[in-house]
This record gives sequence, C-alpha cells and structure tokens, in this order.
Amino acid sequence: MISELIINAFLVTIMLAIGIALLKTRTVIFTVVLTSAYSLIAALMFITLDAVDVAFTEASVGAGISTILFLAAMAYLPKEEEENLNSQILPAISCMVLGGILIWCSYDLPEIGLLSSPIHQHIVPDYILGSRDDIGIPNIVTSVLASYRGYDTFGETIVVFTAGVAVLVLLKNNTNVSKQKNKKSNGKIG
Amino acid sequence: MERLVNMHKNPILRISTKILFAPIILFGLYVQFHGDFGPGGGFQAGVIVASAFILYSIVFGLDEGKKLFPPNINLFLLASGGLIYGGVGIASIILGEEFLSYNVLGSSPQSGQHIGILLVEFGVGLTVSNVMIALFNAFVGFKSGKDK
Repeated sequence: MISELIINAFLVTIMLAIGIALLKTRTVIFTVVLTSAYSLIAALMFITLDAVDVAFTEASVGAGISTILFLAAMAYLPKEEEENLNSQILPAISCMVLGGILIWCSYDLPEIGLLSSPIHQHIVPDYILGSRDDIGIPNIVTSVLASYRGYDTFGETIVVFTAGVAVLVLLKNNTNVSKQKNKKSNGKIG
Repeated sequence: MERLVNMHKNPILRISTKILFAPIILFGLYVQFHGDFGPGGGFQAGVIVASAFILYSIVFGLDEGKKLFPPNINLFLLASGGLIYGGVGIASIILGEEFLSYNVLGSSPQSGQHIGILLVEFGVGLTVSNVMIALFNAFVGFKSGKDK
C-alpha cells in the first residue's frame, strides 16, 4: 500500500513537472518531446492500475507513433510558438474551479478494485466467466474487445481507416494543386 | 524534413536500423498473434510494425522507404484490413448467425471464437499499420505551396 502510494506520488510529480515545462516552453520540438514523455508517464500510471493493455497502447500510440507523426508534420510549422499576451487570469480561474470540482467529486468514487462497486457488478462477471468458458482466452481484454464488443472495434477500425483516407485525400489534393500552379505559374491557391 | 536527408550517411544509424528492422517486425507479429494470451492486439501490433517501416524511411529517405514498401501495396492493404474485419462479420451471417458472431466459424463454438478473434485482430493490425505508414509518407512527402 505504502509502496503504491510512493510510486503514484512519484509519477504524479513527474507529470506535474512535465505539465509546467509544457506551459513554459515556446519551442515546438520541445513541446512534441514533452508530450511524448507525458504519454510515457501516463503509460506507467496505467501499469500501476493493472491496465496493461491500455498502458501498451498508450506507450506505442501516444508516446511512439504520434510523436513521429507530430515531428513529420512539424517541418511545416514555425519553429517558435507565438507569445500569448492576453490576460491568463480567467482561464487560470476556470481551470482551478474545474480541477477543484473534479477533486471534490473524486471522494465519492469507489475505491479502485473494490469488488462491490457498481462497475464490477453489472456485466463484468459474465465477461470474466464467459471469457474462460465460452471463448477460452486468458486475456479478458482481448475477448471483450474482439468478441463481446466486436461491433465497437469494427467501428474503431473504420474510424482509423476513414481518418487515414481523409488525411491522404487532403494532402494529395494540395500536391496536385501546387503542381498545376507550377505549370501555369499563376493563381494563389492553397 | 531536409535535415533528415543525410541521415543514411551516418554508419551508426544505418547499421543499427538494419539490425533493428527485423526484430521490430518480429515483435509486432508476436504482439499481434499473442494478443489472446498476453497484453497486446491489433492496434498495438499495427503501430509497432508501422514504426519499423517509418524508421527505415527516416534513416534511408522517403524514396528508399517507398521502394521497400510501395505506396500502391500500402493503400491496398490499408483498405483490405477493414474488409477482412467486415468479411468475418459477413461470413458469420452467411453461416447462419448474427453479424460478428464467431461461434459458427469453427467446428466448436470455442474454436470458432478463436478463429474469429484472430482474423479480426489481423484486420485491425493491417489497417492501423498501413494507415500509420501512409500518414507518415503523406506528411513527409507533402509539398506546401511555399516551397513549390
């Protein structure tokens, strides 16, 4: 119990430090790297919650591939962020109020892993027993993701596919336009 | 990405990329097909396999990366992943069950579930990895109006 508390406090402190560093930095590449580090700490956080599959996804997608895609897209951004000179008091107050409400609400949450909490009562026992008896797979996450909630995962796959195709279409059109522009050497498209 | 052009001249990067390329894909396949027994699955495996190809493209340049993994195959596999997933659903309808009910796919309900989950995860992995590679190629190969 104590060791868990120490690990959690350590991770939260690092997360807080990264958050403050993100606020301070104005260089885009540091922002990308710090966001990646934040994802990595979040992955460790998920491991302390015993959500290994989520941690794996966070580490590979959040810390890995999205950093690469950000870096690839960064070449088209200015290197420095613009300084924001507007007053920051109102956003700060709204953040603090929202954070306070969330912390206040968290006292009503059931303890993590408590067997009698509602989320472990409704449909979860069926999934746990069914994963053993009906599906025969040790990893319950996979049986929920691919079998019990197969329809949702199908939707997710189609969302990834649609998003990818949409980005490809957007970027492809632009290259064609700039090619045409080079040929005709007129117009102000894009 | 003009800073990345000369990366293949660095022997450390070049050789370590060549050494790491196959193990990364092997690990991706392990995560893909071992997802029933341990953490992992199609989404994670797709990203890991994509990262191997992206690493190759970063070090050796986009053109070499496209030689290794041609864009038309990439786009074909990108679409076929979703089709495999939907095809499993259609197959279970044809065999007389509801959409994505894997029980009828095998000789027993349990083996049907195993086959269905394996195929579905494979479809997810195929789509995710190819979307990631295609996005990276699109971002790096993108020519904005400014630099012609």
